[in-house]
Amino acid sequence: MKRTMLLGLIVLLLTPGLFSQELTGEDIILKVNDLFNFDTSYSKAKMTIVTTSGQKRTFISESWSKNKGEKNLVRYLEPRRVKGQAVLMLNNADDIWMYFPRTQRVRKLASHAKKQKMQGSDFSYEDMGSGDAFINDFSSKKLKDEKMEGYNCYKLELTRKPDGDVSYSRLIMWVIKENFVPVVIDYYDEDDPALWQKRMVESDIRIIDGIPTAMKMVMINKNDNTQTEMEFLEVKYNVPLDDKVFTERELKK
Amino acid sequence: MKKGINFLVFLLFSFSSLLAQDSVDIFGYFESQAMGTAVNNEFLMLYSNKLRVDLKSSSSDKVSFAANFDYITYHGQTRWNILDFLPSDAVAEVPPGMEAFYVLSFENRHFLDNAYIKLSFKHFDLTVGKQQISLGTGYVWNPMDVFNIKDVLDPTYEQPGHNAIRLDVPLGSMYTVTALLSPEDNWGNSAKLIQLKGRISHFDYSLTAIEKIWRFHDYMRFDLDNMNFLELPERRKILGASTAGELLGLGVWAEYAYSWMEVSEDFYELVVGTDYTFDFQTYLMIEYYRNTLGKTDYTQYNLNDWMRFLATEQKAISRDQIYLFIQHPATDLLNIGLSTIYSLSDSSFALVPTLNYSFSDNVEIFAYLNLNFGSEGKAFSRKMGNGGLIRVRVYF
Repeated sequence: MKRTMLLGLIVLLLTPGLFSQELTGEDIILKVNDLFNFDTSYSKAKMTIVTTSGQKRTFISESWSKNKGEKNLVRYLEPRRVKGQAVLMLNNADDIWMYFPRTQRVRKLASHAKKQKMQGSDFSYEDMGSGDAFINDFSSKKLKDEKMEGYNCYKLELTRKPDGDVSYSRLIMWVIKENFVPVVIDYYDEDDPALWQKRMVESDIRIIDGIPTAMKMVMINKNDNTQTEMEFLEVKYNVPLDDKVFTERELKK
Repeated sequence: MKKGINFLVFLLFSFSSLLAQDSVDIFGYFESQAMGTAVNNEFLMLYSNKLRVDLKSSSSDKVSFAANFDYITYHGQTRWNILDFLPSDAVAEVPPGMEAFYVLSFENRHFLDNAYIKLSFKHFDLTVGKQQISLGTGYVWNPMDVFNIKDVLDPTYEQPGHNAIRLDVPLGSMYTVTALLSPEDNWGNSAKLIQLKGRISHFDYSLTAIEKIWRFHDYMRFDLDNMNFLELPERRKILGASTAGELLGLGVWAEYAYSWMEVSEDFYELVVGTDYTFDFQTYLMIEYYRNTLGKTDYTQYNLNDWMRFLATEQKAISRDQIYLFIQHPATDLLNIGLSTIYSLSDSSFALVPTLNYSFSDNVEIFAYLNLNFGSEGKAFSRKMGNGGLIRVRVYF
């Protein structure tokens, strides 16, 4: 018995960091990514753009996603001006098609279209298409823990990998320790890692189908002094979704 | 007047009965537009008001119905003398005594633009009725689209509906076969189309075969029976291919169509385009268009060439053209742009500065100027008139 205890003590002493269970940046970002690890989802969201002059524009859309966001379909319900317009994104938004109901034309867009603002908002298509971008396109480094938006957070620096296919050179992310929700993300310019472009703040975190979900996101554009609020009116996870939903046939419905 | 009242009564009746059904969505827009052009030391103005009312009903996942009525009124200069815009060489070809026929008249009209039912079965969709037919990947020019010709100054404006029966058969998630029949007075004169669309890697591809009667006119002979220029219908068989995808980070697309003509010379059309969005949100597009029906030497443009081009019977008068478009979001609500259409064949060009402003959630304002820089006789000659357009559209 004594021999077993001694052996156990030696093993513990020879395993640095085992007592502290310190998570690395890569561990944390994997857990953040796991939050989006649902197979399918449905959401209905209200997006409100606030311009520099204080004017507001409101959009309501429905979205369906599959394979951790690898496939996405977004359809606009309001306002009437864009009603029926739809965007299909496949292969983590590397393939994008837009549908215009009045002309019933489907236009294939190249991936540079991801940089474009969604309906003039501060969210780009790239910001909305999640997939595995945090782990595939960035390498993560843990910085000193900080309190942010009232939560105890891990602070991470995500630097774009040399082959990363994203429009940001780096991200600074504050991740709530309790549930691994990224409560604040700062986005930095594609070419200048020192140039802070946008900040996204998540709030109203609820547990939906066992998954902590931020029901509200605000994207603040530091350059243009504008902001866009995204409020989820309805979220469902692991809903039955056939692959046929993510086809041109469904896009045109 | 009586027709207009009848139409309004019909609309009101339709609305009230349709509103009683929860499944019918009624929407549309009202559009007010002013267009002006400087010609012969005068600035001519044409105003129009358009009401478009859309109905859409999806009684189940398998059955949907959509329709729209358009009601358009014109005011101001509603009769335009086309000869005012043509070069003197072309005007000289007008047969004596026929000058009065070269008039473009804008008359109030109302019509059922689209009205179709779509039946979705497990393995195919069937769409029957007046519907949009959009073919090809080109932005300004679509060689494969024998049903529509876009306005180069306003290429995204909606096209009219066409009466057709359309069958779409998806083959897995990557391919679709489409068969379309646009009926005319008999089977032989009806337009037929078959298309295979698919995806390989990050590229979409399509192969299309079309047969259609092309109804162009001889603008130097008048048909008194029909009180119109003499129609010269001719069978046209087209084989086309298109693609759209991404190459080296650029959006790229191409479209090709070869037309076998029953009487006239065969010809082909080709479009190649590319676009890119810069980090600072500026969007740039270039599209090249070749149409061998167009001429390489502007001194050969004749009256029929001009009239067929202006009557949108053929897509271009000159053989090679380039369209360049640049747009930037000046604010969240305002997009400013500039397009240039350059005729490589005769070295004339038009500049078209554009503005698109979101006035409120459902109100948008669109405006452009049209400035031509070619000498007389060329595709974009100053004689075609410099002018512009402003359009306010309210959606409901």
